[in-house]
Amino acid sequence: MSQTKLWWFLHVPQLLLDEQLSLQSKVQRQQPQVLCSSDGQRRRQVVQANRAAMDAGVRLGMAEVMASTLLPDLQQRDYDEARETLVLRRLAQWLHQDIAQIALYPPQGLLLAVHDLQRMYGGYAGVQRQLQRRLRGIAVQYVVAAGYSPLVARILAQSGTSLLSADKAVLQQALGQVAITQSLLPPQQQQQLQEVGIEQLAPLLQLPVAELGARFGRSMLSYMAQLKGELLPPQEWYRPPLRFHERLDLLTEVASWQQLLFPLRRLLQQLEAFLQVRQLSVSEFALVAHHRNKEQTFVRVAFALPLWRQRDMLQLVQLQLERQQLTTPALEISLRSEGFTAREAQHGSWLPAQQDAHAQRNEQRRLQGLIGKLQARLGTQAVQQAQLVQDWRPELAQQWQAEGASVGLAAEKNAAKTTSANLPRPLWLLSDAEPINISDWQLQWGPERIQSGWWDGQSMVRDYFIALDRWQRQGWIYRTCANQQSNESNEQWYLHGWYS
Amino acid sequence: MAHPLQELVHKGWVWQGREAAEQLAPEQLVSSGWAELDRRLGGGWLRGAVHEVQVQHHFQGELALLLPVLLAQEKPCLWLNPPCQPYWPGLRYQQLKQAPLWLQESDPKQALWAFEQALQSEALGAVVAWFDSIDASAVRRLQQSAARHQQMAFVITPWQQTTEARAYVNRLQLSWASEQLQVAVLKRRAGWPLPAFPCNVARHLPERRRLSA
Repeated sequence: MSQTKLWWFLHVPQLLLDEQLSLQSKVQRQQPQVLCSSDGQRRRQVVQANRAAMDAGVRLGMAEVMASTLLPDLQQRDYDEARETLVLRRLAQWLHQDIAQIALYPPQGLLLAVHDLQRMYGGYAGVQRQLQRRLRGIAVQYVVAAGYSPLVARILAQSGTSLLSADKAVLQQALGQVAITQSLLPPQQQQQLQEVGIEQLAPLLQLPVAELGARFGRSMLSYMAQLKGELLPPQEWYRPPLRFHERLDLLTEVASWQQLLFPLRRLLQQLEAFLQVRQLSVSEFALVAHHRNKEQTFVRVAFALPLWRQRDMLQLVQLQLERQQLTTPALEISLRSEGFTAREAQHGSWLPAQQDAHAQRNEQRRLQGLIGKLQARLGTQAVQQAQLVQDWRPELAQQWQAEGASVGLAAEKNAAKTTSANLPRPLWLLSDAEPINISDWQLQWGPERIQSGWWDGQSMVRDYFIALDRWQRQGWIYRTCANQQSNESNEQWYLHGWYS
Repeated sequence: MAHPLQELVHKGWVWQGREAAEQLAPEQLVSSGWAELDRRLGGGWLRGAVHEVQVQHHFQGELALLLPVLLAQEKPCLWLNPPCQPYWPGLRYQQLKQAPLWLQESDPKQALWAFEQALQSEALGAVVAWFDSIDASAVRRLQQSAARHQQMAFVITPWQQTTEARAYVNRLQLSWASEQLQVAVLKRRAGWPLPAFPCNVARHLPERRRLSA
């Protein structure tokens, strides 16, 4: 078997339309449909058309006006290149099951490296069979061509030559037939070549390379080398999105999370290995217990800061699971994670200027570690940190935050601007104001009228006083002044806060 | 023949009060912010320790008493089971540097666990915890954690009727008399208990109107 390199190029000229058609019913699919785009100042033209439209005489590149005149009931949609690239990415993901090395040529091409696959699928014909079987599953029009260099495969496929030969002579023969307009050369060079009478690639291949280089520059030299298979530029291979999903058979039914901790340790070890190889860390994953009747129990495990060591993760998972109950026995457990972050360097800094920032980051990390631990065992809402809010209404002037990431050594930048920070507010605020009997209290200072919130339906008009209670405690009390005609005698007073 | 007491002293069963507190490095002590209290506590609050503050009623002035210590902290403080919601705008007005962390946990076992974790993390400025009652072994555990990790913590409880010993380093009892907060020292490092003395916490409180004036 020859060990020469071989590529295939998969050209999908109607990918976006094919994708849209595959989501439609059979009747809908029979309707003539086109995708149109406008290139800059020029008129809109047809870029993709389905079979019904083609049968009725619509051609690619035809003006939209003309197509709709031909077929009054033509369905037109806008062509979107970004969307098509997404579909292409999905196609690459689909083919990645068979082929490891795939390079994206958005929006309509995939380059597949097949030389390494021949042994796996039992020769060249085996690879062909495998790819065709895979592509048969999806309703996409495609042209696939082989090439002894990526460029050759691409030119052949994009010119519509469906040729899967491994023979270099056959490929070169086909390549010679390709018109210069499909050579993927810059338009200016195409025109220059046409002006000297070169209409196909065959005559171009016969010209001495050095002279072509002298005439057209270095880029032409590289082009010719690729066309002859002498230069094989490195490709950026498609990498499927990162995902960790491992499942573990428990052999016996397990009735509590506590008993699951041991198998869980193995899963976390695998996760650690996964993260270690990729130098990543994880801050969230899903733990799934699979039950006998195909039911599943999901537990979302989240850490306040990204981790990667099995022992750190196990400790926190253990704390979180102590709060959970497993309702039905589990047969299998699996661990799934998709969100990974790059690790942050933890080494110390030598530069004195950075040492401060480094120390602060360390503090922050330690604090988040604590909060993560507390939240893991006591619940997310158990630990909260206050934040100032710009509002005159006392109960809305602060907000409690439980999010692990935001809690910490927040530098209150605009705290000085916040109005409430400059007012002698109490140190304590009752969550619900408590009705009091004013005769028990001695007014000391006041009133301060707070009238606000008329815009969001929580309007208030209150007169606040500082007053002493029987035990000489300083309270923050208010009376509501709902309307003018309320008589003084039956006014209701409320206790809202404490000063000490 | 030695005095019979001598034997007990040798066994370490008798604790002897001394006039002067043993010498501690100054950085191990944190000024309470109140000169008269500092003098009585032998220089201030001990850093790696749990201190007890007994109050007759909540909001009596205990926070004002602790406020100077809390204001000195660069790191956030944990407020464990406070009697009501801490109010950050008011604390901010008093120049507190970091917003408090508020932890509310009704199960006393879990709350103690959280308390210990907070001390062990060394990530906090101080821990202030409110407990109605807390048993001797729990206090000893907390005290050991605080000493090992050099963390400062305060436990605020109602006046305790029992005279049962606790491992707190300092135990204070607050009351209110003649318009002043009275602080009695029930226990202190190497010293006899002291009777109540007035502490002028009004510095951190809104001004009071003198009724007599």
